[in-house]
Amino acid sequence: MSKLWLVALYEYRRTVFKKSFILALLSVPLMISLNIGVGLLMESLENDHAPVGYIDHAGLLADPIPAPVTGSRKPVEFTPFQTEDGARAALEAKDIQAYYIVAADYAETSQIDLVYLKKPGRNATRQFYDFIQINLLSDQPPDIARRAALISDNVIVRSLDGSRQLPGGGPTFGIIMPLLISIAFLVLLVMSSSYLMQAVADEKENRTMEVLMTSISPTQFIGGKVLGIVAINFTQLVAWAAVTILGIVVARNAGIAWFQNLNLDWSIIGATLAVAIPSFVLASALMTAIGVAVTSSQEGQSIGALFFILHMIPCYLAWALIKTPNALLPTVLSLLPFTSLLTISLRNIFAAVPTWQVAASVAVQTLCAASALWLAGRAFRLGMLRYGQRLRWRELLKARSR
Amino acid sequence: MMHTIKVSHVAKSFGETQAVADVSFDVERGEIFGLLGPNGAGKTTTIRMMLDLFKPDRGTVSILGGPMTEEKKERIGYMPEERGLYQDAPLDRCLLYLASLKGLSLAEARQRLGALLERFDLAAHKGKKVEELSKGMQQKAQIINTILHRPELVIIDEPFTALDPINTQLVKDLMHELRQQGATILMSTHQMHQVEELCDRILLIDEGRNVLYGNLDEIRRRFSGHAVLVRVTPVLSQAEGGELPSVAGVEQVVPHNDAVKLTLAEDTAPQDVLRTLMAQGVTLEKFEIAVPTLDEIFIRVVEGGA
Repeated sequence: MSKLWLVALYEYRRTVFKKSFILALLSVPLMISLNIGVGLLMESLENDHAPVGYIDHAGLLADPIPAPVTGSRKPVEFTPFQTEDGARAALEAKDIQAYYIVAADYAETSQIDLVYLKKPGRNATRQFYDFIQINLLSDQPPDIARRAALISDNVIVRSLDGSRQLPGGGPTFGIIMPLLISIAFLVLLVMSSSYLMQAVADEKENRTMEVLMTSISPTQFIGGKVLGIVAINFTQLVAWAAVTILGIVVARNAGIAWFQNLNLDWSIIGATLAVAIPSFVLASALMTAIGVAVTSSQEGQSIGALFFILHMIPCYLAWALIKTPNALLPTVLSLLPFTSLLTISLRNIFAAVPTWQVAASVAVQTLCAASALWLAGRAFRLGMLRYGQRLRWRELLKARSR
Repeated sequence: MMHTIKVSHVAKSFGETQAVADVSFDVERGEIFGLLGPNGAGKTTTIRMMLDLFKPDRGTVSILGGPMTEEKKERIGYMPEERGLYQDAPLDRCLLYLASLKGLSLAEARQRLGALLERFDLAAHKGKKVEELSKGMQQKAQIINTILHRPELVIIDEPFTALDPINTQLVKDLMHELRQQGATILMSTHQMHQVEELCDRILLIDEGRNVLYGNLDEIRRRFSGHAVLVRVTPVLSQAEGGELPSVAGVEQVVPHNDAVKLTLAEDTAPQDVLRTLMAQGVTLEKFEIAVPTLDEIFIRVVEGGA
């Protein structure tokens, strides 16, 4: 087996079979599942599918059009009562969860009273107002009435240049998929480069570097480390992706509308990957340089945290990027190292990022990645045997290679 | 004759600091060679240049018949000054991994490792994490790592650090064995008595330059003064040194370990002294030409200039 693979395999095994790694691997899907579970539980607790009564003093619901219901929502039955006494008796008998009283002068006052013993479900309240709304528009053609009553489900939001369109209810899962891929890549990038920095710093701390360098070449060493660490993080991502896919399948089968449209725009995914790959190389090379330059892995972690903050800048400026996706700031952030990946993905949801910007960003990232590789190579040769002493930038740029 | 190592006028500076100014030496196949020098003399930098970890600013290095290559790394065993093993890994896994990087198959490495762990009394500790082992045990583990792949050339820095007398003897026996098997050993140490016992030739460097180089016995003879060591019966203690009969041609008598050292006048030969003592009926237990210890030579050379 090539020595590069031996290094990769050792790195992989010594991390993946640690209890801490297995715990970290399981903790993320568990946390997400727990959060989703708690959310669904809270929502189900807030919903109540028992019938709802109403007394229509305004004559608005004399010949009622049923409340429009979309997707997987379960319709709530609305029961008319002639008198309040009848409705109250039904409420006390728990035949209905609540009842509404539409005032006689509703047309002038818009007054509707709600009577309940226990607060009614949110779904019932929401559907009753849709019920009122569609009946208020009963003189309109049914499709117009329905569209007006369910405005968020029928409006399509389209960007001015026509390059992007979103449903009124917000982006579907399929639309934000490239952003999710980008975030996953960013997680891989941040984790891998941090692991790499840690692994190189550990070799220095353990004083194993000198023994290793008389057994293998620096290329085999760094190449093996990178491969091993990418494999470690890939294991994590695959595990998390498997859980995500399982979640999507469950959600689609459950009829949740958000997961129904999974049509992916492969050109956006392609652009994301084109920026992501040199960004990954750039981060890995810089973290290697840091790992070699610092005196301890702890010091390296502190510096590594700064890089993480740089990658997260687009998140802090997300509102500006969404509001004006093709303005100067988003354009600059799309070109700069560290910020480009997330910025381009975020912008792509709301507007088409011009091809020249994607190409320029790939060029900038590639150039920076090549420079970082050169720098990491120098740092490695100069700093690999320097124990307890930090490598200075000045030395790095001036000194002879070894 | 092809030298295992040939270093010619190498020099290396780090910024303003000159670590090695001009060092040259050869190491012959099958010998144990001592690379000596005070702290900061440039020994480690010289070794690192030999192993191509540092590029010399000047001069050339030939190792195993030419420049260092990736293939040659598998024929060299190196135990650096800065000891290094994976502290959080079990001992056997750590050593097997490092052996695999030296080109050994897992089965072969396992077999050899088992035997060496037994020999170094570490078999019972093979599953322990390296950080759980004592310093002496870690030192033995380092030595195993250096020789597990049966290298042709062993470069070993301070091999006896942290070892008790029993393990020191074990390592010395091992070095003799390696030499008998044809391996070449370059040893760097400050323990001069070990050098005297083990090394065939030495190089002493100071301030990055050769100051003493050659066969150990020749060097000691070169530094011997015009003196003899004498011990008579009954054994003379240091305090009793004066009881030795007076001998013509002896300028100074000083105690020296379990004997006395007689410094002779320029025109007096050791044979004259021996003849005089025999004539006086002295029973000699020891009579030898006084040669300085390597410690003495080291101090004399480094402090006083060669």
